[in-house]
Amino acid sequence: MNIPNASTAPSTGEYAGDEISAIVLDPGYSTTRAGFAGEDVPKSVCPSFYGQVDSDGGPRLLFGENAIHNPLGNLHIKNPWGSDGIVEDWETATKVWEYTVTSRLTGTKPGDPAKNGLNESNGDAMEVDIEGLENLEKPLADSPLLMTEPGWNPTKAREKCIEIAMEEWGTPAFFLHKTGVLAAFASGKASGIIIDVGASHTSVTPVLDGMVLKKGVQKSPLAGNFVSNQIRLIFKQNDIPLTPHYMVSSKTQVDAGAPAQAAYKTFDIPPSDSFRRHEEERVLTEFKESVVEVWPGPGRFSNGTNEEIAKAQPGRPFEMPDGWNQVFGAERFKVAEALFDPGAALTDAESSRPKDEHCIPSLIQAALAHVDQDQRPLLLGNIVVTGGSTLLYKFTERLSYEVNAAYPSTRNKLIAPGPVVERKYAAWIGGSILASLGSFHQLWISKKEYEEHGVNIVEKRCR
Amino acid sequence: MASGRDVRDMLGLPVSGEVQKTVVQKRPKLAAPARRIQGVAREVAALYGERPPPVAVYEEKKSYRAKRQNTGPAKRWVQQPFTNQARTDGLVLKHWRRKPAPQPTNSEDTTMEDGENKEPYIENSSEFLKYNIQLDMPTFTDEEYDAHLRSDDWSREETDHLFQMIKDYSYRWAIIWDRYDYRPSNNNTLTVQEPAQDGDSSHALASLPFPPPKTRTVEDMKARFYEISAKLMKLRIPEVEMDADQYARYDMLTKFDPLLERNRKSLASALMNRSMDEVKEEEFLLAELQRINMAANRLDAERAELRARLEAPIPNQQVAAGLQSFTSSQALQALFQQLFQQDRNNKKRASGTGPARLSLSANDIIGTPTSAGHSLMSAANRRQSMAQPPPPTPIRTLAPQEEYRFNVSTHDRLTSGVSFGSDKLLKMRQAKSNVQTQKIAAALQQLGISDIIAIPTSRVGEVFEQLVGKVGKLLDVRKVREKEEGECRVLEAMKAKRDGVEGAGHAERNGGENGEQSVLQDSREGHEEEDEDVDADADEDADGEPDADGEADDDADGEADEDAEGEDEDAEGEDESGVPSRRGTSEAVSTRAMSNAGHKRSASVLSQASSKSSKRVRK
Repeated sequence: MNIPNASTAPSTGEYAGDEISAIVLDPGYSTTRAGFAGEDVPKSVCPSFYGQVDSDGGPRLLFGENAIHNPLGNLHIKNPWGSDGIVEDWETATKVWEYTVTSRLTGTKPGDPAKNGLNESNGDAMEVDIEGLENLEKPLADSPLLMTEPGWNPTKAREKCIEIAMEEWGTPAFFLHKTGVLAAFASGKASGIIIDVGASHTSVTPVLDGMVLKKGVQKSPLAGNFVSNQIRLIFKQNDIPLTPHYMVSSKTQVDAGAPAQAAYKTFDIPPSDSFRRHEEERVLTEFKESVVEVWPGPGRFSNGTNEEIAKAQPGRPFEMPDGWNQVFGAERFKVAEALFDPGAALTDAESSRPKDEHCIPSLIQAALAHVDQDQRPLLLGNIVVTGGSTLLYKFTERLSYEVNAAYPSTRNKLIAPGPVVERKYAAWIGGSILASLGSFHQLWISKKEYEEHGVNIVEKRCR
Repeated sequence: MASGRDVRDMLGLPVSGEVQKTVVQKRPKLAAPARRIQGVAREVAALYGERPPPVAVYEEKKSYRAKRQNTGPAKRWVQQPFTNQARTDGLVLKHWRRKPAPQPTNSEDTTMEDGENKEPYIENSSEFLKYNIQLDMPTFTDEEYDAHLRSDDWSREETDHLFQMIKDYSYRWAIIWDRYDYRPSNNNTLTVQEPAQDGDSSHALASLPFPPPKTRTVEDMKARFYEISAKLMKLRIPEVEMDADQYARYDMLTKFDPLLERNRKSLASALMNRSMDEVKEEEFLLAELQRINMAANRLDAERAELRARLEAPIPNQQVAAGLQSFTSSQALQALFQQLFQQDRNNKKRASGTGPARLSLSANDIIGTPTSAGHSLMSAANRRQSMAQPPPPTPIRTLAPQEEYRFNVSTHDRLTSGVSFGSDKLLKMRQAKSNVQTQKIAAALQQLGISDIIAIPTSRVGEVFEQLVGKVGKLLDVRKVREKEEGECRVLEAMKAKRDGVEGAGHAERNGGENGEQSVLQDSREGHEEEDEDVDADADEDADGEPDADGEADDDADGEADEDAEGEDEDAEGEDESGVPSRRGTSEAVSTRAMSNAGHKRSASVLSQASSKSSKRVRK
């Protein structure tokens, strides 16, 4: 009908597309992404944090964006992910993921729109009754499931994944793929080195022809949460109060640096510290988005006159939820500097100096050192940048500078997609592409195969 | 059409204009109803006038998008279950497909019921079978392995593992090496341990009580695989029976040298791990090399062009025949030598007079005008002085007598270039007209000043200038005096004539003499004097002056000058005549001069008869 152009979707014959309503699930430390394969953004993005309220009849779990930001009494905010970037609490993680999938994607079949209540306000829809769901038929009985995993996922965790998908969710077909490979696919690359700076971990994954070079996979804890902690340290050093939104009932305008004049809420049963910390993280995220800047090079921030140059630049104002505000000058460069220069990290009693091998340039060098020499120039020509924390202002400039300084003789090319969605959900998008391909049909692990071979089939097939 | 008319015209046939006219007129009539435009477009079209618009105008209804065809009611889609032929387990997946058209014999509702009740049709999809590629691997039997393929380094078990890996990863050696984790089946304790990655960890493992698994490099694995492949190939097809392709492959497989490959890789990594400075240096050197090459090429091209020009001069017709011999540089060199020699001879001859004229001597070529005085300086000294300019000397003011003594003069402005004192003197002698020049020369001769003044210093020049100025004034005064005298004489003669015979016959004589010639009458002639007197005056002036002037020749010269020089000197003549303005009261010019000067002097040209008659009438 319409003449195809650059913005129209290609016909399925062009790219061997054949969609089978597969669901792609991309769990991460901060958010869990899920959606149907073949779509361009994940339909369901839920926080991986969950709330736990201790009540008489045992702990009650709350999932979803709305539930976990509601200041209930004795509400604890937890995360099923461990500090090493592997799922720790499998039981709850399963529930979080299931909520992500069922709340938006599958769920129960909707009835007549006039009667099923979907058009009314769904204020209590966030509290999903997990017990009730289990009594129904298995949530994913209709859809094949493609899950992502970090590059360093141990065999045990992988086997656990297929077990959950097959046993608990009843999916007819399953596949497990590494985030690095999928992020490369999202950028249209089969080979490359993927730099993924997420919330809890930064990982560098060399990928060759759609397969991870396992020896080269590097990870470090210097990522988004680390930057948040650096901001906390800056605030502590400068006596800047950090008040989350839920504490403030009203605020008045004050001058820069003046103490806040706000009315605060009081709670009969206050939420736990973990809730407060989680809410503070939201403010810090806002701070990261609007103030923090990475020193773009050349040289490190501490080199020579760079600090003087940074001071000469205009500052960026930031206002706290309680009205306290200030213009941040050179210190806004300091918090993210440790991602590239561990020596510049702010330290105190709790947070020690990060290791040298954990900064991003060292990770890249370590990753490349474990790759066959012939492939290194190819990988350096396809450096894919992904993860929410790479959206820090001027991050890619600095990364480009560091890579070019480390490898001056090769042609280094950074592939950092501009749209925020593509940067944040690259792995999901890659999975969406992969699972909608007709040529991928033969790779699925079917239920029959799972029953035949057991959980270790995932090691054989998903490599 | 025009050609047809031309032909008819040539043949003298009557022009059949009517037929063509009807054709020409018909066309717009036919076109008009088809192109009838409505609405605003019609008014716009009216603005174009008769001519077509400069750009093509498309009507609105012509759009690029094809109209959507109405293809009847919406098509039904179903979630069609299917199996993939590449799978062995019969996994049933569902994709959306157009619902196949219902059988025309059945009514619609029965098919619907059938579709819901009957066992769903499962499509057997082979659409993507082409992507299920199987690898072509060499295979061997146990006997073959035992007979040919045994190796001290590789066990049968590990060899099988390697082959399996290669099959799994489709010859991607980098991945095979990355994932290669073969462990002998007897020591399972090592499974916990990460596979050794580099020298340090293998060293650490070496100290363990049990032998660690061998770390295989890519080259080891390749060597093993290629060796087996080559041997198997030779077993299946003897060397002599291989065709070209097979032999080429066999040759490549047997010639694989892991050591060479390893060296190549170490070189490649050294190349990649160069420091920034080295890379920059290399870039700089490459740029420099390119620059040098380009310069060399350009120089070569220029030289070739020059050589071609020197060795085979292009004959140029425009150059005069005499100059043709100087088109090559050798000839020019010879010419220069010749001139140089000539000049030296001349200089020797005229050495006493100093540097009075331009010379081609080597010293003068190098020397600048300011250094002309220091001719004693050696050439080497001079070169040095040119190389480093002397420090600025402080300006010292001299007393007038000192200036006089040292012959120093100050100038507000100096003209560029060299001028000679003698030239200056020569110039002063020359007036604007040759006559004047001759007069000045005569006056100077009278004063006893020689033509060439031996030492034309600036002071001599000044004095000479004053002298020439005085001479000029003298000449002017003399000229005025002579004019006045001449006028007086004329008036006296007129008075004498009036006293004597009155002149009708005189007028007749005048008319006969001039014939058809017209007479110029000066505008300044408006002195209330008698007109016929003017005519007489003119005649007398024309022929009578030489004898009237007598001893003073200059006025006669002036007239002669005007006559002889004609248009060139006319301006000068005017200039001269302008100075004594009273002089021209009754000046009449000969008809020869009038044709040139008539337009300048506001003159009324009249035929003699008419002028005379009108004057008479007026009178």
